[in-house]
Amino acid sequence: MTLRLLSLMQMPSLSGTLAVAGFQLRRLLTPPRLAMAALGAVFPAAVMLAAGRASRGRLDPDLAVVLLYVLIPEGVCLLGLLVTMSPVVSDELERGTWVHVTVRPAGRSSLLLGTFLASIVWTGVVAIVALGLALMVTRVWHPEAVPVAFSGLIILSCVGRAALFALPAVIMPKRALVTSVGVAIVVEYLAGVLPAVVNQATVSLRLRTLLVEWMGWRRNLPVEVQLLVDTQPAWIQVVAVFVVAIVMLTAALSILERRQFPPSEEV
Amino acid sequence: MIEVVDLVKDYRAGDGSVVRAVDGISLHVAAGETVGLLGANGAGKTTTLRVLATLLKPTSGTARVADYDVVADPVGVRRNLGYVSATTGVPDRLTPREIFTSFGRLHGLDRDATTVRVEHLLDALDLASCADRPAGRLSSGQRQRISLGRALVHDPPALVLDEPTNALDVLGARDLLAMVGQLRAEGHAILISTHRLHEIEHRCDRFVIVHMGRIVATGTRDELVADGAGLEDAFFVAVSRRAL
Repeated sequence: MTLRLLSLMQMPSLSGTLAVAGFQLRRLLTPPRLAMAALGAVFPAAVMLAAGRASRGRLDPDLAVVLLYVLIPEGVCLLGLLVTMSPVVSDELERGTWVHVTVRPAGRSSLLLGTFLASIVWTGVVAIVALGLALMVTRVWHPEAVPVAFSGLIILSCVGRAALFALPAVIMPKRALVTSVGVAIVVEYLAGVLPAVVNQATVSLRLRTLLVEWMGWRRNLPVEVQLLVDTQPAWIQVVAVFVVAIVMLTAALSILERRQFPPSEEV
Repeated sequence: MIEVVDLVKDYRAGDGSVVRAVDGISLHVAAGETVGLLGANGAGKTTTLRVLATLLKPTSGTARVADYDVVADPVGVRRNLGYVSATTGVPDRLTPREIFTSFGRLHGLDRDATTVRVEHLLDALDLASCADRPAGRLSSGQRQRISLGRALVHDPPALVLDEPTNALDVLGARDLLAMVGQLRAEGHAILISTHRLHEIEHRCDRFVIVHMGRIVATGTRDELVADGAGLEDAFFVAVSRRAL
């Protein structure tokens, strides 16, 4: 089955993937997109500042870390990936570039993987800047550990969620954004918190577990919160995110290779 | 070089019914030959060209480019085919040089080969003077030349042009078709679709007239056109004969 799936796909080329990634990043450098990115970078710092003031400077450092986690690896990353990864096919159809990219030898796979890469770079940079700004206005425990741990969480969030959003983008390109929001809510935030086998396939479970592990909270974790995290060590969580990403991307690639769009569906 | 045999392409409509866009079309284009695919809107021209470009899969029949089958070896087809469409799809923010370079890399050309090829195309397509200006600031004629250059970046032996002059004024269309003539002289096999018959009447070696997905006439201009008439008259005769 796996071999058959692989045979249906055109193997991606590195130069093609990098060419598409560069092309997509250039496209993102527009004033509206840059304004959105700036807003995304400043928003977590503004919230942290407001939370600090509301608590009269006595915001619990652990709570501050949780708030940072909700705002950046979850909030900023999710929103950034939604607007950059979801339109991977629909944007090309609307701009009339679909035919020109996909008529190339590894066009479809390069388009998907190049956009995946550009989406991760764009969102990752915005999230790292957001983290830096937020840490400047927030008092947290382990100030030396938080930037490293959160940088890891941002990268894993970007890789896992960009791959997750690739599926609705190729299955329902015309409604990819709405479908991706639905996937984020149902898969990541409903299935992800269910203490059942289904949550093992979610990125959110892995990120929460890594947060607990890297912040050293495992020993003092309340029983009800223990249900929301995995018991396996950190390296298993990291591998699990990459496995989920590879499975999602492979499925998206095999679907994209077979997609046909009648001329009437373009522009 | 380009060969289509008994090509059929069905689409499934939104209500579940099947619409036959192409119904048994056969044609061939040899190296150094230009063939005009003529037909009204919805005749099946674009669908035929998109099957050849491996963008759509045929329902039945075969299509081959440079001896590569579009179903069995789509990658071989893509390596040997250049495709130009009516909608240029040229990104406004990128320059001609950046567009050619990106697509050269997408074709797997190495950096040096891409640079040489890009400079050649900029000169050949008269784009050198605007090579570093964003495409959004260029004229529609220059944008269509970028589209042609993008199709030629890997120097394919076969070219498929889908209504390439649609968005162009008279001068832009004449320039583009002159370049297509040069490519033919260099030995490229060219299949060009249009419904602006006067533009290509004297530029194609042969014509294939399609109507409602079927071929209704085929031949050279002299074979199709009666004394004193034009290609447009021949087109109307062929189409109305089919309608009856």
